[in-house]
Amino acid sequence: MRNFYRVISWSALLIMLPGYLLAQAQRITGRVTSAQDGQTLPGVNVVVKGTTIGATTDANGNYSIVVPGPGAVLVLTSIGLNSQEVPVNNRTVVNIVMQEAINELTQVVVTGYNTTQRKDITGSIASVSPDRFKNIPVTGVDQALQGQAAGVLVQQSSGTPGGGLMVRIRGNTSISAGNRPLYIVDGIQVQNSALTSGYGGQNDNALALLNPGDIESIQVLKDASAKAIYGSRAANGVVLITTKRGKANQKTNITADVQRGMTDLVKRPNLLNASQLLDLQREAVINAGQDPDKLGLIKGVTDGINTNWLDMVLRKGVYQQYQVSAQGGNERTRFYISGNYRDEQGVLINNGFQRMSGTMTIDHNATSKLSFGTNMTVTRSLNSRVLGDNALNGVYSGAVASLPYYSPYNEQGQLYGPSDPNYPGFPNFNPVAEALLPRQQVLTIKMLGGVYAEYEFLQNLRFRSKASVDYNNITENLFYPSTTSTGGAIPSLGQQGYGEYNTNLAATFTSTNTITYNTLINEKHRLSALGGVEIMKQTNRTSFVDGKNFPRDEFTYITSAQVVDAGSSYLVNNGLFSGFGEVKYDYKEKYLVTATGRYDGSSRFGQNRQFGFFPSGSVAWRLSEEEFLSKYSFLSDLKLRASYGFTGNEQIGNFLYLGTWGATSYSGSSGLGPSRLSNPNLQWERTREANVGLDASFFNGRLNATVEVYDNLTDKLLFNQPIPLTSGFGSFQGNVGKMSNRGIELTLSSVNIDQKGLRWSTDLNLSRNENKVVELVSDQPIYAGFQASGTPGTNIVLPGQPLGSYWGLKFLGVDPGTGNAIYDDKNGDGRITPDDAQLIGNAQPKLYGGLTNRFTYKGFELSVFFQFSYGNRVVNLTKQGLVNSGSSILTNQSTDALKRWQKEGDITSVPRYIYQNTYNDYFSSRFVEDGSYLRLKNVSLGYNLPKIWVNKVKLANVRIYTSATNLWTYTKYSGSDPEVSAIDGSTAGQGIDLNTLPQVKNMMAGLTVTF
Amino acid sequence: MKYYYTLLILILTFLTSCKDVLEPKPVDLLTDELVLKSAVDVPLVRIGLYSAFRGMMSSVVIAGDFTADHIKHNGTFASYQEFGNKQITSTNSDVATFWGALYRTVYIANFILERLPAVTGVTSDARKQLTAEARFFRGLAEFYGVYTYGDIPLLTTTDQATNRNVTRTAKATVLTALLADLNAALADLPDDSSTGAAYLSKRVTQAALARYYLYQKNWSQAENYASLVINSGKFTLVPDYTTIVNQNFPAESILEVGYTLNDDPATLNTLFVGRREVIPSNQLVINLNSTESGTRVATISFDATKQQGNDNGWTVRKYGTALENNANIVVFRLAEMYLIRAEARAQQGKLTGATGAVADLGVLRTRAKGIAVTATSQADILLAVERERQYELAFEGHRWYDLVRTGRAQAVMSAFSPNWNSRYELWPIPQSEILNNPSLQGAQNPGY
Repeated sequence: MRNFYRVISWSALLIMLPGYLLAQAQRITGRVTSAQDGQTLPGVNVVVKGTTIGATTDANGNYSIVVPGPGAVLVLTSIGLNSQEVPVNNRTVVNIVMQEAINELTQVVVTGYNTTQRKDITGSIASVSPDRFKNIPVTGVDQALQGQAAGVLVQQSSGTPGGGLMVRIRGNTSISAGNRPLYIVDGIQVQNSALTSGYGGQNDNALALLNPGDIESIQVLKDASAKAIYGSRAANGVVLITTKRGKANQKTNITADVQRGMTDLVKRPNLLNASQLLDLQREAVINAGQDPDKLGLIKGVTDGINTNWLDMVLRKGVYQQYQVSAQGGNERTRFYISGNYRDEQGVLINNGFQRMSGTMTIDHNATSKLSFGTNMTVTRSLNSRVLGDNALNGVYSGAVASLPYYSPYNEQGQLYGPSDPNYPGFPNFNPVAEALLPRQQVLTIKMLGGVYAEYEFLQNLRFRSKASVDYNNITENLFYPSTTSTGGAIPSLGQQGYGEYNTNLAATFTSTNTITYNTLINEKHRLSALGGVEIMKQTNRTSFVDGKNFPRDEFTYITSAQVVDAGSSYLVNNGLFSGFGEVKYDYKEKYLVTATGRYDGSSRFGQNRQFGFFPSGSVAWRLSEEEFLSKYSFLSDLKLRASYGFTGNEQIGNFLYLGTWGATSYSGSSGLGPSRLSNPNLQWERTREANVGLDASFFNGRLNATVEVYDNLTDKLLFNQPIPLTSGFGSFQGNVGKMSNRGIELTLSSVNIDQKGLRWSTDLNLSRNENKVVELVSDQPIYAGFQASGTPGTNIVLPGQPLGSYWGLKFLGVDPGTGNAIYDDKNGDGRITPDDAQLIGNAQPKLYGGLTNRFTYKGFELSVFFQFSYGNRVVNLTKQGLVNSGSSILTNQSTDALKRWQKEGDITSVPRYIYQNTYNDYFSSRFVEDGSYLRLKNVSLGYNLPKIWVNKVKLANVRIYTSATNLWTYTKYSGSDPEVSAIDGSTAGQGIDLNTLPQVKNMMAGLTVTF
Repeated sequence: MKYYYTLLILILTFLTSCKDVLEPKPVDLLTDELVLKSAVDVPLVRIGLYSAFRGMMSSVVIAGDFTADHIKHNGTFASYQEFGNKQITSTNSDVATFWGALYRTVYIANFILERLPAVTGVTSDARKQLTAEARFFRGLAEFYGVYTYGDIPLLTTTDQATNRNVTRTAKATVLTALLADLNAALADLPDDSSTGAAYLSKRVTQAALARYYLYQKNWSQAENYASLVINSGKFTLVPDYTTIVNQNFPAESILEVGYTLNDDPATLNTLFVGRREVIPSNQLVINLNSTESGTRVATISFDATKQQGNDNGWTVRKYGTALENNANIVVFRLAEMYLIRAEARAQQGKLTGATGAVADLGVLRTRAKGIAVTATSQADILLAVERERQYELAFEGHRWYDLVRTGRAQAVMSAFSPNWNSRYELWPIPQSEILNNPSLQGAQNPGY
């Protein structure tokens, strides 16, 4: 910190030196207009080239500036416009016409703690403009990234509103620590994980609390050069989100946007009806040599009821969103205000997500040197949840599995409870009751805010201080009446109603102080430097109370519980103390060099390894500035760049390095028991990253291409390594193992046609990532996913193989003679056992990407967005239950079961049904399917009403649009949807479909009015 | 200039101390170095020891009853399917759980034995008692260990490097070492526990020694220690067997590990009642319903609505929930002492009369309102003891250990399951243990 004080006192001295620069001053004025429509352009930056003298155009496009001499050159820049250099040439009035930028080269890009122009970037940064997702009803920013940027893989875990997603930037770097990217909103790290836990595999999502409608720009930082400034948190990539702010000298814009639509499941599973199922089950029982009548499978009786359970729990959901925002400002003060309400009904009954949010941002220039401002967002969300797939009493999973022989309601129209004699027992629960009767609400209040002040001590020497907070208050309010499985069927929960009330206060406080300096020497050497100090403190305060034995099901709060026997409160803090810096240099904008580094101290690591340094360096060469390429006029820009550096991952729990004892109890007395072994050497995972990229721009920016290759190696994996239990402990938190990610990415954007009012543009991104576990603590496999008969785990982590590999028997077909499954007897011992399991596929795609085509013509806009994943495999565990070969008669079966082997000579891939025989239903490659898909993610059609009409009613713009999301999917996958994950957020156990709620399609219409 | 001051103040305010940020204090954890350094920790660590031992007892029930002919698998968990089908593998998760709980108890006992001598300010009585308790639990844990796994590593230190690379010690050596522990405990423990059957006393140690000598076939010592406990008069048979099924701390409990609402994991209740993952085997149902068994059929209950297919409709009732005040697991109770003495006397030829085996069996039969024992020959009386132990102690973790120690396992279990194999007279060493401990490589029990 001493350096800061030194800089400040230095600055104090220097500022008092006389301003001799203004000796031969001359005042220039003028007006800036747009080449496209002749309108005046407010907010354009006008700078005298080679100096730091600058001004901004006012609301009428006028500027006034003092230049050092008559030979001065003005440089004009503004977001969305081509930068321009205009020599003054002895004029005193200089009017300038500016072109709208087609390409993004001159656009200003936020790079962590600084900004730069896209052409000057030496690292790997993908930008996603909110225009790309404005027509898609995305809940959160993570969903908005799907298919939009190369190197960013987004998979939605299910069709649950406000639910979890898996976002991976350039692959999975870790086995047991987090793989989620770092999300920075206006300079502060925000919560990016699930808010609550315990809903059968489907989590909620903290990012759903941020309204995408307030986003101005998103940058995804992908290589070491771009990320190293975030040091120990950056290994999984960084998503920088900048929210909307007011613009200087702008007429106040008020925009209202209304969206309404309907949602429905993309595809339902095809299940048997009661008589089909009965025939199948009778056949299975007879095949087992038993009498089906004795098991109660009697034709005309058992199938007397035929319930379609999916109809009972599914519906069409109503989607609606309303947003009003105002944006504007004068020379000194700028503001942005918005309010948003979103209500998304789930396709499952009683499931829904509501969000209200409000944002206010103010920036103020107090003097020419001092400016300050604040941004404040408050969000309230109410998530009405239903139990997910990885639970016997889940709603969708229950409806898929439930026998059609039963009805959800009795003759009196009442829902069957868990112990009703007219309803099948464990593991069957009435899914309608499980959806309708419990109250499972998560109420979250999020406050995201910050204040900053910036002072310019000297020309171009700026000091900025910002304090921010991300404050999440989560209240989970649960009640299960005695008519549900949780409240009525579990003896240890009392069987007379069960309630829980959980709170969690998760707050992040960040204080950032940065100092930046930039200069241009001899008009050739441009140097910019940034240094900063940041302190981040995270606090989690949690509490819960459970109540049992409620007198009546109408009394649903714990105040009425007779037994309140479990409760807790807890506090945990963690912190990060960091210094960081960045130096950029370029020679004539031709040769560019950047060095970045961060020094992080983290509370999560051992005394011996608390501090770590994460350096990176990058170089770029803009070949297009070279003489020898200047004759190729079609080439607007060509840049070759390379970077190398280190980043870290610290996403593990707290205090894991300490050897500790915790509270324990015995027979009503409390005491201490050992919790964990100490490891003073515990440290972050370290990723070594190398990246080479080529950016090319042709035909005045009409065609842009970026190709990148990277090679990343993560070592010192945070891993809870198993140790002999004779030590008194089961595991030891250490750093062992290596993981490699290599890949190639291509991004193309082009304006194919731009004439006579018709404009057709195309954006394409393609990515390939090769992930491999290079080294583990031992050669012993680590199992993940689900345990299933025939394998200790559906997924395996094995050295030399990628994460998400599947492990099971190899299915060779069905024996036409016996109808039994044939498996590969890998070890040749003549028996089929779990020892014959082998690798049978992988969850990671070989190639993924997105393709967007946009057409505009006279106010019409059509956008067609495809998103795809190729080469990934999905474990269809749903099928293991739905085509179970008779191993159980407690669940319904899929129509695929009709293709089963029935008599000698049948050629089929579905084995014979034999009651209580699990052999034909062992977990095998029969259940691993190609999960490649091509999805028409969104089609939208918009129309801007002609200005003449609109202006008559004193409006600036009126736009009507319709949009369809997830309209069409091409896949060979036999389940309902290949894009699901039964264990949301899992890395090692990814790619499993186990009665998981498929994605939903959304058809909506919208209206945007700008005043 | 005032802005500079403002900025300086801002910076200073934000830069709270680095230590505060980087070294937050855990609120619920105490670091290793600080535990058992002062006298205040003595009672706390003592509870930690009891708690660790308690963690082992559900595994004892699973080993003692699930490995034998008492259960039938009726659920979805692979581990219990293995027990039900008698296809136990070294990757069975309960096999590793038992092993882990055993060595956790040993770890805390060794921790106490290492640290306690250096702690100042502890009364000599408290020091003596905790030392004796640590030795008792270490000994009893190892006793369960050798009869479950055979030769096991014998640990006397908390040193991590030593304990992670340790070979198996011959069963006889472990038995000698644990007998020394039990005898040391017998010397130093108070005569009777002042805090009920949840805590140790001389009587508990005598009960443990009775069982120890029974397993060693040292009949006279077994009889002697069982008599000491019976004659102490501190424990009385409850008149109604259902009290044992349905209540914690019945008057005949000698040692019972205690759960309360806050810490009851409901492990056994979930297996038996919540999920009915395992149900009583058909043979056991018949035996418990016999006229010999009498009221002890209360161990299980029948529900006709559950009877279908594989499910015989019966449910094990011995483990309720903490809410029902019935979550404890019994380690020793008076009825077992009568059974030990009956067996020891029968083996010594003391068959009838006031000090004969039949008299001791009669005590339990009478309580259970079962028909009187009619056996007269030594062999028949020993078989009657075996049956009596099944009626009386079903689901208290005895059956498999009894069958193995009496050499009856092969005969009884082969009749019960076609998959039975003599290798199941011991559990396998957990596969993970063999992988992680270099000294155990290639040291699996025969047949696994």
